[in-house]
Amino acid sequence: MVTRLIAPLAVFGAVLVAMVALNNGATTPPALSAGGDARTTAARADKLLTRARETGDATLYARAERAVDAALRQDPGEVVALNAAATLAGLRHDFLGQLRYGRRALRAEPELASPLTAIFDGQIELGRYGDAARTAQRLVNSKPSLPAYARVSYWRELNGDPEGAVRAMRFAASAGGSPQSSAYVRALLGDLELSLGRLGAARAAYRDALRDVPDFPQALTGLARLRSAGGDLDGAAALLRRSTQRLALTTSLTLLGETESAAGRARAGRRHIAAARAVHAADRAGGGYPDAEAVLFETNHGSRERAVRLGRRVFRRAPSIRSADAFGWALTRAGRTEAAYAWSRRALRTGSRDPMLRLHAAIAARRTGRRQEAERHMAVARGGAALLSPLARRLLG
Amino acid sequence: MRKLLLALAALAACALVVPLGFGSSHREAPGISLDPSADNTDTYAWTAKDAPGALTVAANWIPGEVPANGPNFHSFDDRARYYVHVDNTGDGRPDVSYRFRFKTKIRNKESFLYALPGASGYNDPKLNVIQRYSIDRITYHGKKKHRSEKVKTVARGLPVAPPNIGPKTFPNYQAFVDGANRTLKDGTKVFVGQRDDPFFVDLGATFDGLNVRKLTGNQGEGKDDLSGYNIHSTVLQIPERLVTKNHRSVSGADASNAVVGVWSTTERRKLQVTDSRSRRGHGGWVQVSRLGNPLVNEVVIPLGKKDQFNRTTPNRDAALYGKYVVKPELAAILNALFNVGAPENDRTDIVQALLQGIPMLNQHSGVKGPPAVDTIKLNLGVPPADTEDRFGVIGGDTAGFPNGRRLGDDVVDIELQVVAGFLKGNKVPLGDGVDRNDKPFLSSFPYLAAPTSGFDSAPSTRVEPGHAPVPAGG
Repeated sequence: MVTRLIAPLAVFGAVLVAMVALNNGATTPPALSAGGDARTTAARADKLLTRARETGDATLYARAERAVDAALRQDPGEVVALNAAATLAGLRHDFLGQLRYGRRALRAEPELASPLTAIFDGQIELGRYGDAARTAQRLVNSKPSLPAYARVSYWRELNGDPEGAVRAMRFAASAGGSPQSSAYVRALLGDLELSLGRLGAARAAYRDALRDVPDFPQALTGLARLRSAGGDLDGAAALLRRSTQRLALTTSLTLLGETESAAGRARAGRRHIAAARAVHAADRAGGGYPDAEAVLFETNHGSRERAVRLGRRVFRRAPSIRSADAFGWALTRAGRTEAAYAWSRRALRTGSRDPMLRLHAAIAARRTGRRQEAERHMAVARGGAALLSPLARRLLG
Repeated sequence: MRKLLLALAALAACALVVPLGFGSSHREAPGISLDPSADNTDTYAWTAKDAPGALTVAANWIPGEVPANGPNFHSFDDRARYYVHVDNTGDGRPDVSYRFRFKTKIRNKESFLYALPGASGYNDPKLNVIQRYSIDRITYHGKKKHRSEKVKTVARGLPVAPPNIGPKTFPNYQAFVDGANRTLKDGTKVFVGQRDDPFFVDLGATFDGLNVRKLTGNQGEGKDDLSGYNIHSTVLQIPERLVTKNHRSVSGADASNAVVGVWSTTERRKLQVTDSRSRRGHGGWVQVSRLGNPLVNEVVIPLGKKDQFNRTTPNRDAALYGKYVVKPELAAILNALFNVGAPENDRTDIVQALLQGIPMLNQHSGVKGPPAVDTIKLNLGVPPADTEDRFGVIGGDTAGFPNGRRLGDDVVDIELQVVAGFLKGNKVPLGDGVDRNDKPFLSSFPYLAAPTSGFDSAPSTRVEPGHAPVPAGG
């Protein structure tokens, strides 16, 4: 009798829970039903992925994968599970997988906007910028909000329109979302401003991010770049230590290592580079494929020949401009200057004004005797010097 | 009701929605997630006791505002537009819309404080952040595809009541409320700003492994999980002649202009992805959220159609979503699992109660069908009840939900009972054990209670006192 009367409330709740799970992606309230249905399982996968992102613990990927697989066995068209599968694939740098799962999710629910985010992310990393533009347009036409605006911004950034990227990212920051999402786009806005040499605006954006989430790691890293650009390497290192204690991102760890080295603390530098290497390794152990950043890391801090081999492999899997840049840089450092120049041209095929890509292209052009072109790229790189690591800044010359 | 979901999300408290770009150089922007600043939580429309002859509307946004949310307090988004719509013909298209546009000014950009201690009013430089708004009144002319809009800006630069930070910052918060209470030239009263969330519901019990506090939910003892949370509200009190189809006041409940349908929406700009430089770089506007009746968006519309529902207008509701109301998934689940005897098919009773209006009460006159549209239909000619019954129409109080929606109407209990089949004679005394809001509503404009201050923040603490079982329909 009791259950009979309470039950409707529970179901009412369960339906809402399911909707929350779908609406918010990562939000996974406790399951009320007996469990075992596809959506409940998918929600568990989602929860594991959220924890993986929070903690940087790549061992959670395998558990999330088991949950996703189980959910899809129960219902191959379960959209929450398909979205989770796409997210997992993306986190592992399996961008083709991300794209495929995203498309399956869209086929399952053609009116839903969420699959478009996974499709866009996959297309970007696969270097399909024309497709990605159409996906982003469809996304922003159907559900303009922080996630859509942030992607519009990224597309513009990659396609040589940093001012347009800033404008779109301001829409994202203004729209807001969860504190973490908001902090995330504000930190990205800071990075964009840095790349344009607007240090004051960058500082304001990072501070806004820290108001959303105290000690937000990417914002601390951004402030560290500002310190470093102003010559305060010790201050930069202190901020980076805080950032990496919060979340061990390889970019931040590498930057910390390079900053310590530049400040004359070679041992500390080596220690942090070793830590970054360990995170890269853990990422791979969790089923992740190496990406462009792994190639750059290997080039700058490992074996140049291995970096070239890795670079070729990474580009084959993810033929993006970032992969082309990383491969080109590996070739440059390995002394294969003509090939390097060809790859740096491919890296700039969309007209990106990313200071690192321009720096690499400038050096490749200079080494092959193209002085004017080198100077042109170098000028763009210098404008965004604040975004570069101390190691890269030394090459600006 | 929409906020139910979001409050739930907050309760579930597994916060990180954002992929943090873990261990990698590639970008992991956030997935589709919360969009609180555009999120319509609830819409209310009623005839206030102290304002007969006017339509009173409260439209709320930003679910689950924790009062102590500094230093970044919640606000309307300057880059979005917020609407209250009135349909006076019953076709599900707006005939009069009020559009709110916002602009925030930060007096001292170096300060991270919202206001310095002792801020006394909108012109006090100690108030560091001030948001102001304008209202466009939009009327529509012509039929269907040939409709044209006439836009008139009826208010400019009015202040939004700030978040109630605490007694040290705002020793006299009421001064800000008073300053935000405005009357426009045409007699419309308006208030925009932070308020206590008038919605009340026990979520926690439902989600703690069926840990319901008092068995059928009709004997109180529920915990109001939205008590102590704030929202941002726009409250309008519009003279009837400005919203009725013949531009006249309503003479009585059976007058042909008596019924209006109300809903609220939010829209955001679409951007032109590949062309930020042209004027088209900002693109047009897209509706991203809408709310008419509680329940419809959340429980009736299936998961895969929610984004679509949020960007469509009520006139297409019957075609796009009618089938989900006639055969509601919820009723089927109720029966499959728990056998409460809820009718599963042919639920024209729900269609009528929520979407078409009840004949002789709040059904639009002079329209064929009438079309099923998700608007809150209010008969302006029904006089306000002396004593409100929280069960509204099913409790015998025709001045309450679903004839309009008052702040105190217990829509959770009403809707649970209606889905279980109340209107078809299957009267099950269902409820959530929470019968009223934690704070009493005001007897005069803007009616919604003052927001809990950040200093006093203690969300979700009120428990409904136990009482004798209440039968279905009160």
